[in-house]
Amino acid sequence: MTYLVIPLVKIVVILLVLILGAAYLTFFERKILAYIQIRLGPNRVGPKGWLQAIADALKLFVKEDLTPARSEKFVFLLAPVLIIVPALLVFAVIPFGPSDIWRLTDINVALLFVLGVSSVGIYGIILGGWSSNNKYSLMGGLRSAAQLISYEVPMGFAVVTVVVMAGSLSLVRIVEVQRELGVWFFLPGIVALFVYFVCGVAETNRNPFDLPEAESELVGGFHTEYSGMKWAFFFLGEYANMIVISAMATVLFFGGWLPPFPNLLAPLWALPAVAWVPPPFWFLLKVAAFIFLYMWFRGTFPRYRFDQLMRLGWKVLLPVSLANLMVVALGVLILGGRS
Amino acid sequence: MSWWDKILAFIPLELVQGLGVTGKYLFRKKVTVQYPEQRLEPKDRFRGMFGFSEERCIVCHNCAKACPIDIIHITDHFEESVVDGKKRKKKVLDRYDIDVKRCMFCGLCEEACPTKPVAIWLTTKTYETAAYERNERLYFDKVRLQTWDGVLPFPGVKAPAEGGMPEDPKAEKKAAGGEGA
Repeated sequence: MTYLVIPLVKIVVILLVLILGAAYLTFFERKILAYIQIRLGPNRVGPKGWLQAIADALKLFVKEDLTPARSEKFVFLLAPVLIIVPALLVFAVIPFGPSDIWRLTDINVALLFVLGVSSVGIYGIILGGWSSNNKYSLMGGLRSAAQLISYEVPMGFAVVTVVVMAGSLSLVRIVEVQRELGVWFFLPGIVALFVYFVCGVAETNRNPFDLPEAESELVGGFHTEYSGMKWAFFFLGEYANMIVISAMATVLFFGGWLPPFPNLLAPLWALPAVAWVPPPFWFLLKVAAFIFLYMWFRGTFPRYRFDQLMRLGWKVLLPVSLANLMVVALGVLILGGRS
Repeated sequence: MSWWDKILAFIPLELVQGLGVTGKYLFRKKVTVQYPEQRLEPKDRFRGMFGFSEERCIVCHNCAKACPIDIIHITDHFEESVVDGKKRKKKVLDRYDIDVKRCMFCGLCEEACPTKPVAIWLTTKTYETAAYERNERLYFDKVRLQTWDGVLPFPGVKAPAEGGMPEDPKAEKKAAGGEGA
């Protein structure tokens, strides 16, 4: 019962919520972009356009699924799977709330697990670009490989600053430490947060770092040759990865499931009027804020040139994150941090 | 660039500035016109679907001559009648066809019309003339030019046959302030 049924139920719930959420993110993204461009956005399907995501999903289900004749058939099929599985797998360790009900599992190296598993997703992009047997796809895949390798490094350093401050790799423990210290890590780690989020945007191939799928230069980049549900998997993977990055930013820097000012306003959160709010509500609220930031970025920033991208990654973010790590480590040492 | 400027260059204030601009636009009033439900009203001088009035037409052929691509086709005959013991000849319109699918809406036919008010005018604000078959449906004879069969009139505008014959189609008298019904 405890080892089979309950985890299974949790898995199904998480998967359903995640996939539905990713589908609806496309709708919200279109709405937000439209509003930034003083348009109205999709508003025809269903009341106020709310069924647009469902309609899109249905459309993708019934679309013809093409495979290029000269492609590497097996790898071509494998690539979308490789992209979506790691993105969904990460949610096994993300804590949505303080107690065991609100998470699937808590392992003591969860942070390492997240970084490792989410890095596997890049194989999907490279293999998808290569197996399509198309120059544009291959270019997209190569760009993505270079980009992800470059940005993985400063991201790792940004995450390490949090590990130094928390003294643990367990995501649950990291949030607990933030509650115990009475300060969320975004305050001492403001530079780390900036580096982390910029790298996160780059790793999910989103504007302004969307070179792998730059429509204006590479048609569709690595997913040029994909159609139907295979393409939808790429899309779903991208949005799931966005949720992953946002959830990780929430856990690492914004106190996960904790309500705002958990210690200062502790009497307020204990009030019966507020106490019934489940902790995941706060978690999802913060995640939503980060995802909105993603879309805001997309509506604001133009795409980087490739050499600018590389310069930013290696010559700005890497030194900054390294220096920041040193400063934070020194601070923890002086302030008598945990060992 | 001093060392201080180099450090400041690391702080991405311009990014925040840009985000501020788009953030402001997020709450702007939206400019979308929801077309089938809402329509923008064209200006008075807008050249749309032809209006034609057979009773105003004096069959002078000026419009056909003025047309640069000769898409107006007119045939007529004389009818003789005796009025007060005198023989009278009168021109009667047989055909008045406009091949609207080739029309470029230059409005020269309207300019050439000598009658007052003009017998052919384009200031109808009506632009929804789409048809599935262009040779049949966009070739207007004198009946369809007046009944506007197959044309969706702009709200408030009537087909010439239904009384949509403005006194001042070209809006020459400013006081009239337009045309339409």
